[in-house]
Amino acid sequence: MFEHVLSVMIFLPLAAGVLLLLLPVSRNGVRVIGLALSVIVLVCGLKVYVDFSGGGGLEFVEKKTWIDALGIHYHVGVDGISLFVLMAAAVLFPMVFMLFTAKSRAYYCNMLIALGAMVGAVVAADLVLFYVFWEIMLLPIFFMIGLWGGEKRIAATIKITIYTISGSLLMLAALVYLAVSYQAQTGVWSFEIAKMAVLDLHGGFALLAFVGMMAAFAIKIPLFPFHTWLPDAYSEAPTSTTFILSAIMAKIGVYGVIRLVVPVFEAEMARYAVIFAYLGVIGLMYCGIAAIGQRDFKRMLAYSSASHMGIIALGVFCMNVQALTGTLFQIVAHATSTGILFLFAGILEERGNSRQIEDFGGVAYSAPIFATFFAVAMLASCGLPGTSGFIGEFLIILGAVKYNMLVGILAAATLVIGVCYMLWMFQRVFFEKPTGKTAAFKDLSAYETLVFLPVIVLILVMGIYPQPFIAKIEPAAQKHIIQMITTGEPALAESTAVELPYITITD
Amino acid sequence: MTDFLLLLPLLIVGAGAISLMLLAAFENVEKEIAGYGGMAVFLLAFVVQLAGLTAGDTYVFADIFNSMMVSNTFTQVVGLIITACGFFTCMSSTTYFRQNHFCKLEYYALTAFAACGMLLLTMAQELITAFIALEILSLAIYVLVGLHRTNVRATEALLKYLMLGAFAGGFYAMGGALIYGGANSTHFAVIGGVIAAGGFFDQPLLAVGSLLILIALLFKVAAFPFHAWVVDVYDGAALPVTGFMATALKAAVFAFFANFLMLDHGLQASWVEYLFWIAVFTMFAGNLIAIGQNSLKRMLAASGIVHSGYLLVALVAFTSRDFSDSVLLYYLAAYAVATLGMFCALSYLSGEGEKRQNFDDFKGLAKVRPYSAAAITVFLLSMAGLPPTVGFMGKLYIIINAIHAEQTMLAALAIVSSVVSMWYYLRLVITMYFYEAQDDFITESSPFAPLCTLILVVCVFAFALLPLGV
Repeated sequence: MFEHVLSVMIFLPLAAGVLLLLLPVSRNGVRVIGLALSVIVLVCGLKVYVDFSGGGGLEFVEKKTWIDALGIHYHVGVDGISLFVLMAAAVLFPMVFMLFTAKSRAYYCNMLIALGAMVGAVVAADLVLFYVFWEIMLLPIFFMIGLWGGEKRIAATIKITIYTISGSLLMLAALVYLAVSYQAQTGVWSFEIAKMAVLDLHGGFALLAFVGMMAAFAIKIPLFPFHTWLPDAYSEAPTSTTFILSAIMAKIGVYGVIRLVVPVFEAEMARYAVIFAYLGVIGLMYCGIAAIGQRDFKRMLAYSSASHMGIIALGVFCMNVQALTGTLFQIVAHATSTGILFLFAGILEERGNSRQIEDFGGVAYSAPIFATFFAVAMLASCGLPGTSGFIGEFLIILGAVKYNMLVGILAAATLVIGVCYMLWMFQRVFFEKPTGKTAAFKDLSAYETLVFLPVIVLILVMGIYPQPFIAKIEPAAQKHIIQMITTGEPALAESTAVELPYITITD
Repeated sequence: MTDFLLLLPLLIVGAGAISLMLLAAFENVEKEIAGYGGMAVFLLAFVVQLAGLTAGDTYVFADIFNSMMVSNTFTQVVGLIITACGFFTCMSSTTYFRQNHFCKLEYYALTAFAACGMLLLTMAQELITAFIALEILSLAIYVLVGLHRTNVRATEALLKYLMLGAFAGGFYAMGGALIYGGANSTHFAVIGGVIAAGGFFDQPLLAVGSLLILIALLFKVAAFPFHAWVVDVYDGAALPVTGFMATALKAAVFAFFANFLMLDHGLQASWVEYLFWIAVFTMFAGNLIAIGQNSLKRMLAASGIVHSGYLLVALVAFTSRDFSDSVLLYYLAAYAVATLGMFCALSYLSGEGEKRQNFDDFKGLAKVRPYSAAAITVFLLSMAGLPPTVGFMGKLYIIINAIHAEQTMLAALAIVSSVVSMWYYLRLVITMYFYEAQDDFITESSPFAPLCTLILVVCVFAFALLPLGV
């Protein structure tokens, strides 16, 4: 079974999701099955994490011919870059089934399909396969927002769908362009992602392909100015959908840039990455400032999530080892802090029956455990030392300063905005005088406390003792940067390795 | 003997058509019996066609038809698509005619006659043969379009289609005459030779003649600027007839189109710059029309124009005969599966007298009939080209083929067009799922159309896993 562990992680939830949609199973039945399957995926994920050797290449590879004439394969594998995104998905999905009572059994089926597709997109090693999962990922999101979202759900659904599909189709053109260029340059058809790194791309169409691919990922992350779908989608979606969107789907956008853009379009990256780095910083500031003005805390968190995605994206475009390590670390940190905040916001909304900050007050007095957990996640999201958010953002800013002093200083300075809106919101919701809605606010039950506790502990462990995580990430990041600089030729990589401007964080 | 075996599907459909016509002479025959007859004929033809697939070889009917027809993998696969379309059309028709009471016994005979013409058309390698085939299928389709004689819109559709179709036929005949004047032959091989020897634009008879034929073919596939008839004609015709026209007819004409263009690479190369713009305008004209429609049938008609545009992209971007042919075939099959499925589902869901026509009439369908709504969603996703459906693979191949042929601009425009098309496909999904039902969606039960829809849903996913047969 374990040689097919990745396929199990993809197709078990996918197939179960589709089957359960068709079969007459009760809502609770689907929920239990969903929980069981997501736990199986988690176990498989842990197995992969433990057995992962970190040699730099793809591990747990499965490769089968799909369309021979064009060199398209069913080809999956994990490397240090995908491992952490994969783990974030595997760890966070069971919480959805544990914590939320959905309105319909179809909701859980959609969640399972989303899980399978997201795992598929992360482990795909073939361009076509990646694209297939990338698109399937959107379908459950489409239905979950449209069927079970808030009042303006239809407008929000249309917005996110049209936005992301436009981006995806541009990416499709770019993917095909890459494969055809590969065929033209080597005479062999192949859609293998790793092989695209050897391509020698230049000219107008290469630039267009770069733009097309960046458009898809920039929309998914989302990078300023492509973020306008985000506040509507995040605030209208059901809480657990928002959680998945923010904690995992946005990360897959970042992952896509690292995997598909950075190693393939070296020349374009060298020339234009600075633009995207600035876009990241602008997004960080713009969405941060927008968050201050929000009265709806879910909307505020949506802007906050977008703002922090800006700094994660910045880490990718700095293209050095510190920044990339920071980015990969921050992918997990952001998923566990901002993602969890969305879950807490869901609890606030459910128990307080409102999304307006002004309707709340003094929650901390009636719900101390909830307030403590919220505070930890919030502080991690702001990047307070001692929490996971600090390590990731610190590394990214370190890398950014090395890449471009101005970008680094701007990014560091803007992080303060995050503290402003978060603390102010926390003060208004959790302290001050209790209102009618919050006087009888129920604290987390023992069950809920148990579900949240591991994540809260993880936030603190990652902040206080990040070493084991960085040890797994850093070799992959190094390898990736070397590969990018030398366009994937190992011999060259050896010779340039010494000249690379990196410091080893592990020492 | 080989002659006979390769012609067998054509003969079966032809003989079936005549027997069904004779059956119609008896007054007390149940209409459903004729429907079963039609299904049997098409199923038999399909099985025979499938069993007789020859890989790679081209067989020229030199003895009995003086090389005017050929049979090869390309024509055989198109034959498979046509007979399958005929089968599914008969199947959905039986259900459709339980709720709509204008069926004549000749309906199934006419469908078989049309298919007969289509099969002949795909094999034709000569202008007169093709003309005869075109007329056989056109006459049958004219009658099918106007079958509901008391319906104003059906009559309007018939009149429009007949008048314009007759004009197109006239263009074709004139073009054929001019080409004969220039090349002294109507055989594709000879015409190709004359073009290769003397250049294309230096021989005005050939250039003008092929332009006229091109106009006739562009009319038949509803390409810009000859696309305007489609929306009204599809709207007026009965749903199964529309489905049959949109799929089988398009497959046959596109197969002939490819044969004609590729008769010598010279012809395709001479027209490629103009076909480029025709493809682009076809895609965008279709999109613009489709976005504005409130009627589902009209939207599907307009989206058919867009798909013609994608198929033209496959003709413009010519890499090698084998590769481009497989791409064309794959897309034809992909398009046929989704479109037929859509019309199958509509032919039972639309209810008595096609009373549910507009987007709004399908509000909340998913709440009342979740399986039907899911099937329609699958077909729409396939038409929109989203994975993991066959429509996505078709579009992927079209784009690969186009970029491979260094028509990157065209591929990019095709992508932009499919972004635009998302809107009207998703609009129906949104209508079906995100609103409350106002209708009970009760339809007269008959297993055939739902069964046919189910088969086609399976096909949408199963074909996506099929490798491209290069």
